[in-house]
Amino acid sequence: MTATVTTPAARGAFKARKVFNKKALVPWLFLAPGLLLALVFKFWPMAKGVWLSFFDVRPFLGDRWTGLDNYTRVLTDHRFQDAIGHTLVLGIGQSLGAIFLGFVLALLLEGQARSLKIVRTAVFLPAVTATAVVGELWRLMYYPTSDGLINSGLNFFGIGPVQFLDNPDLALWSTMAMGIWIWAPYNMVIIMAGLAGVDRSLYEAAAMDGVSLWQRLRYVTLPAIRPALGIVLTLAAIRGLRVFTEVYVLTGGGPAGSTEVWMTRAYTLGFTRNDIGGASAASVVLLCVTLLLTVTVNYFRKRGDVR
Amino acid sequence: MGDRRRSRRLAAVLAVTGLAFATAACGAGSDSAGGDPNTLEVWTRSNPDAAATYERVFAAFTKKTGIKIDYQPVINFDQQLQSRASTKDLPDVMINDTALMGSYQSQGLLKAIAPDSIVGHDQITAKSWSSTVGIDGKHYGVPYSRQAQTLMIRKDWLRKLGLEAPTTWQEMLSVAKAFATRDPDGDGKADTYGMVVPGSAQNGYAAWWGSSFLWQGGAKIVEPDGRGTYRPAMDSAAAVHTVTWMKDNLFCGDNAVTQPGALTAITSTATNFQDGNAGMYMTGPYNITTFDQTLGKDKYEVVPAPAGPAGGDVLADGENVYFGAKTGKTKQEQALAAFLISPEGQKIAMTGENQPVVRIPVNSTLDAATVRDDARWSVVQKAYEDASQQFPNAPDFAPIKQDTADSLNAIFTYCGGDVGSQLKELNETLAGDLKDQDLLK
Repeated sequence: MTATVTTPAARGAFKARKVFNKKALVPWLFLAPGLLLALVFKFWPMAKGVWLSFFDVRPFLGDRWTGLDNYTRVLTDHRFQDAIGHTLVLGIGQSLGAIFLGFVLALLLEGQARSLKIVRTAVFLPAVTATAVVGELWRLMYYPTSDGLINSGLNFFGIGPVQFLDNPDLALWSTMAMGIWIWAPYNMVIIMAGLAGVDRSLYEAAAMDGVSLWQRLRYVTLPAIRPALGIVLTLAAIRGLRVFTEVYVLTGGGPAGSTEVWMTRAYTLGFTRNDIGGASAASVVLLCVTLLLTVTVNYFRKRGDVR
Repeated sequence: MGDRRRSRRLAAVLAVTGLAFATAACGAGSDSAGGDPNTLEVWTRSNPDAAATYERVFAAFTKKTGIKIDYQPVINFDQQLQSRASTKDLPDVMINDTALMGSYQSQGLLKAIAPDSIVGHDQITAKSWSSTVGIDGKHYGVPYSRQAQTLMIRKDWLRKLGLEAPTTWQEMLSVAKAFATRDPDGDGKADTYGMVVPGSAQNGYAAWWGSSFLWQGGAKIVEPDGRGTYRPAMDSAAAVHTVTWMKDNLFCGDNAVTQPGALTAITSTATNFQDGNAGMYMTGPYNITTFDQTLGKDKYEVVPAPAGPAGGDVLADGENVYFGAKTGKTKQEQALAAFLISPEGQKIAMTGENQPVVRIPVNSTLDAATVRDDARWSVVQKAYEDASQQFPNAPDFAPIKQDTADSLNAIFTYCGGDVGSQLKELNETLAGDLKDQDLLK
């Protein structure tokens, strides 16, 4: 009796331990390739960038430790301060505009009809086109004589040729318009997913009560898609400050620095002025601000959810 | 529960260790590839057309010496060079602008070069060699190609309107206005422009293109004091007068004198001359090949730049051959440089159906017009030899050029500002740039 009881227990314990080991190892093996890519191409360069921001970078002469000098110099540079201002205006305007347009498109294109699916696919194309290509196309559209695509249209209404990119008062807004066009379809898809999840009975109840279109939007649709809007706002917070290609291809930060943004300024520091330390410092500050912004948006989103 | 957590931790450690070994393996692989002593990695900053010319040059070199070339035409040269610099593994040879020598030297990217070590060094003039002297008095590049800005002008339009090529600023303005307003292409539409201006601040274009006007107006950007230091000079009366003239006549006056979008145009987007709707373009002679193909040889000619109050000087620049620091292949690099400056090497790079990468040969036994059987190159060579000025090559000129371009672009954009005070502000910025390099007088 005693021998019989002991043997099964020992065998069971051994088997359990082996099973745990195998099960624990398998997920990590599947994750390894992705982790390797992230490690080599994201986290290591990020750490290196933070490290370089404390040096006057001269690889062959020996990097010279400068502590926080790079940060002080970058943050007190008036061109950089202007660039921050432009980035905020562009980022906020672009994000809000893209969310609004995405919402409108989602309402217009929601549904099951086959033709709507084709239109949705066509409308989504900006999201999958390379930003540099979009920039070149919009620069052609903005051509500042009556031959330009947009100026041709304006000419039809009797408006003279507009210098969209060469007028410092217009250049930032012209860039913003392009950014809205690029990102609205992406937001549309997320908001459309939110709309698909709205309980139909709520609309039926609203119709029974005889509410107006605006009231239905205000009290039924918007509350229901708050999770989707939360996601869209989070993505906008991350993306809004990191504009680069749109500006670089369209205007190069000109005219007179009127469209210079955080990233184009960091790029100029690093590759036109060969100030790698300063460029690293600018990028690290951007990273910190982006993290802070993302955390803040998430905090308010969660607090809103609780309420 | 404790057992499970412990086994997960062990699995995580194993995974990370595996990643580390995999990463090390990747690193090891690239080392062995770069180590072949009989292969040189050569970078040039070239578009595909110019790269095709370099291919022929390097093929001839390999055939002659047996040294193989790993050739990389790199368009985003400076970004990729910084990446390589950060890993302390530079290309063996780099061919790039003379104006970048100070920038590269200040970062320790270049080997010092003794001219005597290059076979054929005596065929390069003292003037050319003097352009590769660094801050410390040593040479850091081998001269390879030189060029001077010249004026490309539509001769068919001149003939049609009964005009002569301009020889002064005022004549240039008159011709530009005529090109803009008198329908020289005869299509009945107001769709022609006087001249092309790459006026963007991006990468310093406004300063690069505008410097010829500064020289012609008697202005300098920075002035050497003969003791290895410099002082900023953009607040001089000549500079104020010249920049005011440019602002009033090219950017803020009759807008048809320049092509649309001048303030945000760089050379790759300012295609109005070859597109056939602009009548003049002050540019480098490397465009002669392109314009012959797109516009036609019969439609335009190459003339000296119109003179300003102080003369007809234009911006001179060019390319040098640079040796990467600590590559360990000095003999092979010297062999390549010797071939590149030899009559044979220069001729291959000057001719052919693709864009020439040697414009005016640095080898003084060769004449640009004779080698090409094209008299237009005499105009370019004469401009280079008699009426040209370079940017200072010894300082790190990149921030100076960029700050100057930023300031000029702002002056040309906001037409109502006071030029004198804005240039005084630029001067203070330039003083800061020079001070950062310990070069302020």
